[in-house]
Amino acid sequence: MNLDGCAHLRSFKTRKGTEPFRIVHSYFIIAASQEARKRKANSCYCHMCKQHRPRLHACLHCVFFGCHGARHIHEHARVKQHNLAVDLSYGAVMCFSCGDYVYDRELETIARDQRRKAAKNGQVKELCCPWDPTSAEIELLQRNPKRRKITESSTIGLRGLINLGNTCFMNCIVQALTHTPLLRDYFLADRHNCQMEDNANMCLVCELSRLFQEFYSGVRVPHIPFRLLHLVWTHARHLAGYEQQDAHEFFIAALDVIHRHCKGQNSESETNPHHCNCIIDQIFTGGLQSDVTCQHCRCVSTTIDPFWDISLDLGSDDARNNNNDTVNRGTSSGKLNGCDNHPESTTLTDCLKRFTRAEHLGSSAKIKCNACQINRESTKQLTMKKLPLVACFHLKRFEHSTRYHKKISTYVSFPQYLDMTSFMSSRRNDNGYINGTIAEINSDNNRYALFAVVNHLGTIESGHYTCYIRQHKDQWFKCDDALISKATLQQVLDSEGYLLFYHKQFLEYE
Amino acid sequence: MADLDDKKPRDMRMKEKINQKLIETGEKERLKELLRTQLIECGWRDELKVHAKEIVKERGIENVTVDNLIAEVTPKARASVPDAVKKDLLQRIRTFLSQQPGL
Ligand SMILES: [Zn+2]
Ligand SMILES: [Zn+2]
Ligand SMILES: [Zn+2]
Ligand SMILES: [Zn+2]
Ligand SMILES: [Zn+2]
Ligand SMILES: [Zn+2]
Repeated sequence: MNLDGCAHLRSFKTRKGTEPFRIVHSYFIIAASQEARKRKANSCYCHMCKQHRPRLHACLHCVFFGCHGARHIHEHARVKQHNLAVDLSYGAVMCFSCGDYVYDRELETIARDQRRKAAKNGQVKELCCPWDPTSAEIELLQRNPKRRKITESSTIGLRGLINLGNTCFMNCIVQALTHTPLLRDYFLADRHNCQMEDNANMCLVCELSRLFQEFYSGVRVPHIPFRLLHLVWTHARHLAGYEQQDAHEFFIAALDVIHRHCKGQNSESETNPHHCNCIIDQIFTGGLQSDVTCQHCRCVSTTIDPFWDISLDLGSDDARNNNNDTVNRGTSSGKLNGCDNHPESTTLTDCLKRFTRAEHLGSSAKIKCNACQINRESTKQLTMKKLPLVACFHLKRFEHSTRYHKKISTYVSFPQYLDMTSFMSSRRNDNGYINGTIAEINSDNNRYALFAVVNHLGTIESGHYTCYIRQHKDQWFKCDDALISKATLQQVLDSEGYLLFYHKQFLEYE
Repeated sequence: MADLDDKKPRDMRMKEKINQKLIETGEKERLKELLRTQLIECGWRDELKVHAKEIVKERGIENVTVDNLIAEVTPKARASVPDAVKKDLLQRIRTFLSQQPGL
């Protein structure tokens, strides 16, 4: 883009400097403060037709706003011989003598700096602007003329991982993470600003950045993730050692370390200081609502807790005995409860129904009711208050008790697309039951698509982890450590899932 | 302004009021940013970019102004905004309005 403006703008700048532009841009385009917005709302209308019209322009020579649609700004320019005006939506300068917008390096810089400053103070959002390569980047591009274009059949992004001695539990989580669409966008856009500058080689987020580069470099030989393993051992000591670990436990530990290493980087949102805004929490955090209803006075006490994953019982003939640790946040690992009669097969939807149904806590687990002021028998119901962008379902296949450790091989069928509407808090009616009818809620927003499945093969003593990941919307691949092979959707859906990863189909933004 | 306001039809005054509220609260900028992101995500922007590039290539950069381009791509641009995006934006504006006292 030509950033030298035009002769008219240059002559204007010699006479009046950049101050007129600076004022218009800061008062009427950025309008960062409440006061400025009020002024903008009251004064930004076309002075000729007296309306708020789209593409309003401000004259740079005098105080005049005119719309573009009815050509009132053109008329002003002609009559008053004021040939320069600023577009109030984007800040581009129109030169009526040239008959087009002109771009001036100095004014562009002023505009960008004003926006950055306001964005830093949290007053406005930074515009996602097109990439403007620096001279160093241009040189780099010229020295490396080879370009990689991603086509439908491209295998870029697929890479095997060497097993470093029972580290398949880590490899399959790495495969799932590197194929999480939003996480991939974050890392490939190089968005991580390291908070551990003096000690950046200890930062797990930096290591993940490198890993994404490795995965998407186009190299086909398997990658050796020893640095990652070393970092995980350092930061999550309970996972150190060469024994087989639980992939789910590793997943939660990895999220926790990444979340901790992101801290400080705009991690605290203005609205709620306890709500973390790091990339992990943006993608994986959902809100789980727990409603405890007093059986005596029907009074409901509600709490909402953040979660990174949902651990689901596979069901048994006797009801759930407890769901105290069905939700994980941070390093606490999901403990599993013991019940013996497991069904041959069940479905993910059934597991979710069980998870969200109201449950009697029984007479031995009385809870203090705020209204009655004494301990009462209660029911408890969990529902989804806020859906995460990526939902991870953990099927509780491992049973540990003092007497035995065993694996449950119940077949759990799970869909390619999942609608979470019926498990949401908004669907729960006052009786504590979930409405069976499709409500007016826009269920498009609650639809998820499967993108990764982690499988555990074999027994609890000698098992092996593999995973399926989705590439290019509908192609599936099986990752077995260093080995990557093509798979069909049917194979994925027929597999014995342990961790199921779904992402939201229609994103909402805060 | 008062006498001028009286001459405007009622729904036009309402529109002005809504617009003012949207700007005052900063909601307009938030919605614009959201819309921008959604349009990028669904490929709308890239598609139009290609279209605009073709026009520029065809005629030569010297013979095209921003206004020419806007006039030419607008019909296609309007028509190709996905329904889901429109629906979402409408819903958000509705929600916003329902939360505004005195409207
Ligand atoms: Zn006008
Ligand atoms: Zn003027
Ligand atoms: Zn000019
Ligand atoms: Zn770092
Ligand atoms: Zn966080
Ligand atoms: Zn009570």
